[in-house]
Amino acid sequence: MLRLTVYFTLGFIFLVLQATLLPKVLPGEFRPDLLLFLVIYLALDEGEFSGALLAWVFGFLLDIFAGSTPGLYAATLLTIFVAVRVAAAHLNTESSLLILFLVACGTLFEGGMVILLSFLADIDDISMPVLQRLPLQLLLNLFSSLLLLRLIALLQSHGGPLAQIPGLRRLDSHYES
Amino acid sequence: MLEFFRKYRLRVLLVLLCVAALLFYSALLRYRGASRPVEVKVIAITAPLLAMVDGSVETLADLWGHYLWLIDTAKENEDLLKRTRELAAELAQSDEIRLENARLRRLLDFKDSLDRSVLAAEVISEDAGSWFRTVLIDKGSEDGLREGLPVVVAEGVVGRIIRCSAAYSRVLLVTDASSAMAVLVQRHRTRGVVRGVGDRLRLEFALRQEEILEEDLVLTSGTGGIFPKGLVVGRVTSVQRDEYGMFQQVELSPAVDFSRLEEVLVLLEQE
Repeated sequence: MLRLTVYFTLGFIFLVLQATLLPKVLPGEFRPDLLLFLVIYLALDEGEFSGALLAWVFGFLLDIFAGSTPGLYAATLLTIFVAVRVAAAHLNTESSLLILFLVACGTLFEGGMVILLSFLADIDDISMPVLQRLPLQLLLNLFSSLLLLRLIALLQSHGGPLAQIPGLRRLDSHYES
Repeated sequence: MLEFFRKYRLRVLLVLLCVAALLFYSALLRYRGASRPVEVKVIAITAPLLAMVDGSVETLADLWGHYLWLIDTAKENEDLLKRTRELAAELAQSDEIRLENARLRRLLDFKDSLDRSVLAAEVISEDAGSWFRTVLIDKGSEDGLREGLPVVVAEGVVGRIIRCSAAYSRVLLVTDASSAMAVLVQRHRTRGVVRGVGDRLRLEFALRQEEILEEDLVLTSGTGGIFPKGLVVGRVTSVQRDEYGMFQQVELSPAVDFSRLEEVLVLLEQE
């Protein structure tokens, strides 16, 4: 329960950052999709049900703070969670590069889902803006994910309670046994 | 006599010394206007030493004095830096108030030009995603807002309210892909529909035979049921007419700089 609360709090902080601070400091209306990173992280590290629930809740919250079609991000992030969860069973999840790869795939997938679901909501003009912004968004998401991975590793290296932060090291232990 | 001298010789000697000193003094009184050789010699020998000691003491006193002075200077410097920072902050705040005042004055002038009652609101956050264009404002249903109300600034149309909670509302910007509004080109009243395409706008359904030029001003037509007539939407930046088809492709740049959106006006329903 504590882990879920921590994840939820972290997700909320990411959301607030995406809505307030990051648009102010980043040019061109771009902001890194920190929640996407968190959902991929959850897919690799959390249980199926609790992870899926959190992914949906994050999407639901994102729908409140972004876009005009309720449920779009909730469906998108949940789908990404499930896809990563299924794919993770066939991948070597010990590598941090995998998370970056999954973030890249997740960004492209999210872009596709936004176009598809918006099309279903009669917003058919969104495809061009999304496709035009996708390459830069991809780079931004990769860069922010790299920074977050470094931050997690740094926090884990401090030992004590911080060493218990779930992450690659925990993932490693799953596969070492 | 000798016995007396032996008995009190020390005291006698002291008295004699005093007398000798007085006599010496008395003798020297006669030469007090001139330098005596002994004095000259003594001065010559001791003066350099005194000068040296005096110099050292001066140096030490100087060092001590400067050290104390430096402490004072450092403290004074710190105080001055602190004061400079405070003044810089006050200046920045004053600039911010001046700019805000100018913006609000523009909004107020614009408000006076409208024939509808308006409510001023502040933008408190932007869209949390990169794909859509919405902002959150600090007024909601408790302030009389509801979904569908138009939001404007002095420069032109901002968008319309799509979500409304008690104290906050979400505004869909005109640049969002799901936004559309009825417009007309000011110069020759050509009608069309403006849609958002990211950072720009696109004028659709503008008939091919109508001559739309770059820099033409595009206004709301008032026929869409949301925006009142005559609000500035943007300026034409490019016009493309294909060899076939009924309509021309027109792109606009929005009149409002959405990256600097801070205060907005919500047009309330007509009573």
